[in-house]
Amino acid sequence: MKIDKKEVLRYLGYKNQKIDEKMMNLVDECCTEIIDLCKETFVYEVFDIERKNDLIFLIGSTLVLKDKDIKDLLINSKKCVVMAATLGSGVDSKIAYYSRFNITKGLIMDACATTAIEYLCDEVQNEIMENALKDNLFITTRYSPGYGDFSIDNQAEILNVLETYKKIGLSVTESNIMLPRKSVTALIGLSEIRSPKQNKSCGSCKNINCNFRKDGGYCAK
Amino acid sequence: MGDIVRNKIDFKNFLLFDGAMGTMLQKYGIQRGELPESYNIKHPEIIEKIHSEYLNAGSDVITTNTFGANRYKLKNTEYTVEQIVSNAVSIARGVAGDKLVALDIGPIGQLMEPLGILSFENAYETFAEQIKIGTREGADIILIETMSDIYEAKAAILAAKENSSLPVICTMSYQGDGRTLTGTDPITMVNVLQGLGVDAIGVNCSLGPNEMLPIITEILKYSSIPVIVQPNAGLPRLCGYDAVYDVHAHEFAEYAKIMAEMGVTILGGCCGTTNEHIKAIKNVLNELEPVIRDVKRMTAVSSPSFTVVLGGEIKIIGERINPTGKKKLKEALKNNNMDYILYEAINQRDAGADILDVNVGLPEIDELEVMKKTIKELQSVVNLPLQIDSVRCDVIDAATRIYNGKPLINSVNGKDETMDSIFPIVKKYGACVIGLTIDEDGIPQTAEGRLKVAKKIVDRAAKYGIDKSDIIIDCLVLTASAQQSEVMETIKAVELVKTTLGVKTTLGVSNVSFGLPQRELLNRTFLAAALTVGLDAPILNPLSEAMMSTVNAFNVLWNKDISSKKYIKTYSSFVGIEKPITIDSAETKDLNRIIIDGMKEEAAKVTVELLKTKTEMEVVNTYLIPSLDIVGQKYESGEIFLPQLLQSAETVKKSFQVIKEKMMASTEKKISKGTIVLATVRGDIHDIGKNIVKILLENYGFDVIDLGKDVHEDVVVNAVRNGNIKLVGLSALMTTTVRSMGETIKALRDNNLDCTVVVGGAVLNEEYAKMIGADFYAKDATQTVKIARKLFDCE
Repeated sequence: MKIDKKEVLRYLGYKNQKIDEKMMNLVDECCTEIIDLCKETFVYEVFDIERKNDLIFLIGSTLVLKDKDIKDLLINSKKCVVMAATLGSGVDSKIAYYSRFNITKGLIMDACATTAIEYLCDEVQNEIMENALKDNLFITTRYSPGYGDFSIDNQAEILNVLETYKKIGLSVTESNIMLPRKSVTALIGLSEIRSPKQNKSCGSCKNINCNFRKDGGYCAK
Repeated sequence: MGDIVRNKIDFKNFLLFDGAMGTMLQKYGIQRGELPESYNIKHPEIIEKIHSEYLNAGSDVITTNTFGANRYKLKNTEYTVEQIVSNAVSIARGVAGDKLVALDIGPIGQLMEPLGILSFENAYETFAEQIKIGTREGADIILIETMSDIYEAKAAILAAKENSSLPVICTMSYQGDGRTLTGTDPITMVNVLQGLGVDAIGVNCSLGPNEMLPIITEILKYSSIPVIVQPNAGLPRLCGYDAVYDVHAHEFAEYAKIMAEMGVTILGGCCGTTNEHIKAIKNVLNELEPVIRDVKRMTAVSSPSFTVVLGGEIKIIGERINPTGKKKLKEALKNNNMDYILYEAINQRDAGADILDVNVGLPEIDELEVMKKTIKELQSVVNLPLQIDSVRCDVIDAATRIYNGKPLINSVNGKDETMDSIFPIVKKYGACVIGLTIDEDGIPQTAEGRLKVAKKIVDRAAKYGIDKSDIIIDCLVLTASAQQSEVMETIKAVELVKTTLGVKTTLGVSNVSFGLPQRELLNRTFLAAALTVGLDAPILNPLSEAMMSTVNAFNVLWNKDISSKKYIKTYSSFVGIEKPITIDSAETKDLNRIIIDGMKEEAAKVTVELLKTKTEMEVVNTYLIPSLDIVGQKYESGEIFLPQLLQSAETVKKSFQVIKEKMMASTEKKISKGTIVLATVRGDIHDIGKNIVKILLENYGFDVIDLGKDVHEDVVVNAVRNGNIKLVGLSALMTTTVRSMGETIKALRDNNLDCTVVVGGAVLNEEYAKMIGADFYAKDATQTVKIARKLFDCE
């Protein structure tokens, strides 16, 4: 596990303010502590795609995709990878602890963990990409419930199909909050054609109040 | 029906379970994501076939297809728990013949509090529903399996014990690091679950047989009940695009043989195993005899992931969470100030306590509710076993029930009435208990007299089925000032009780010095004397350096701290006296600068200095508030970022603590600018944002009632009504939970409560806030402060 300090600062809303050495040390300390606490695990499965009645079926599973943005993502794909990754609940309880007794540290730890789960997903994505290349398949970008119009209601079904609770201890509440908190689910298409460079800005995202957008940035790397 | 069949279960012999249900269902075409339990209704013939295949392979027990048949998982399906469970049991019963049917109970699939939002009580009810139906329909055994969270396992076991008379088996799933996902290790699992009275315990799923061997070794070392193992057919390996389990039947059975020879008597398979695996194990078991194990019971208490075993190094029971003679703790309990209590716990842990005593007995509070809340909060913060301390039996009962782990109860004594009310609790929940050597005739004067009472306690416990290893005798310390001649009797009694009864001992050491000067000197001398005769776990103040150093030294001299490791670690850099405070930082830096720079370590002492010449209000109004305003402006203008704002906020908090303490000590002057209720709404668990708002509001002198996360609207309504609250702050981070934010506001309005509501959270905006009926939207914490100051007219 690696945590990029620049990313952590970005999540914390850092914009080149003057920071003293003490604050920098604190960020370093939090990175190390999160790395120690992480029990990163992941699971993914690959399904063939079938298109019928303007829907995408993942063959052999109960997953049916109907939202426009996810159908757009998979437009050229013949297979779809369904993935889930988590840092485990140790991270959550430590963040909860600090957010009660040392809020500065709690906030920074939270940002470190967010950076860490993104890193883990990148690693998983790389593995998927390398495997796909062996079969001459290219991957699309990684797309998660809640992005664009891909409804967050898909969360429960994705976890169900992957049996994440049993395999990696990942659950989802009725409000679609994943627990442990620092977890991600995503779909990645596998296509014979290399995907065009995806637009990584916020044009298609519905989260119009996002702080990154307000600042003209974006949430993904 | 259950009763008749149950007589046949012979835990002395091998018992062979079946293999995986899911793997077989996949063979018969189930889709990923399809509800396996639905096959009990849609395709009973397939389930029947799978059971038959296992029975033909030689299974003594088949497991019903009910792993996920709970009300949470079935919620959005067309099936009820009643339908699924009753069908499943009757299918199994129909083919089992004279073989046994195990009612399968898997985890609910939701994380429990405090990490999740599933409460212990809801988990219990969920399991009880399944168990009642399964028992009624004729299951022979209840198999609680694949548990990661020992708290969930406890809820399931209690539900089984209280709603059925069937034998109960419980297995947990371990990761490669030797712990379950929520951190439980084998010794803790055995200590807690065996205490709860299950008939067999063990391990299943997640790992293959080879990876399980070290875990099984540990379990066998501590478990005096039969041990069950149901491994996966290896670790899943990616083969093309499919995950495969590749430990085949023959190899699997080889491992089964090793396990049986180690002492495992109940075997079966989990993910990836089929009837072939079971058949192979059957053949192996036919050639073997069960190993008879003789396991010595240990005296140990546990948190969910940490077990303290008495008998080796001296263990410290921290005594500070007890309001007797502690004014600040009393205040904290009366004002529901949980943070103060939690700090007491953290400080004792950091000072080296192994177990924490928890006593919240005050006549003016609802002791039962406060005890339950305190136990839950402490367990979410400190990973040490707790000692539940109350004179009220109902409080001990309720706290022991919801405790996560194996607690120590303080206490029972030699009085018949006390023993007959406390021992049933100790037995039912599998706790350890402290037995005081006092009975109807008072404290015996002689050591022999105290031994007699101790023996009476141990004997009576045995009648309740409680092993003496779960009893820790306290021979009671008398004060040297009043009963000098009897102080030595206690020391003698400890030795006598230990050698005669073979039980572990504890003493509340500091009683000895009551009423005399230089108490620590007497305390530590007495402690040393008691340790030499075999005191195992003194109850003392871990913040007392004199006491802790005595224990540390003793552990070296009595060869308990092996290679003096802990001693060297503690004292190699010990400098004797605390370094003098560097004067320049304390006096030259002014509080404004300290706050703006966020130097929180320095805030307290500078505040103390300032209060020598200024009043409390002067410090607040000329230092704290103006500095906070400056920091707030810097944050808004982007000159500093959020962590820097928070450093300053925490600095003010430290300063405020000093001011509040001074005010509490002097007059009843009020500093509060108003009281505000904060909550993260029902269904939402993101509370960092809310905590940030809280600290800033407190900085500005507001009292905050923090209702926490996942707060039901009724709780908000009650808090507002009872406290006559004028401002409520609600937080939600998800589009899904903004709905319950709206419902909370509606509940406040419907109850005609005249309060202003301010809302915040990532998905909200001005317009959205208006739509759900809020009075204000705050884009960040500083905005909330502005709204509050305006409302309470502080500007």
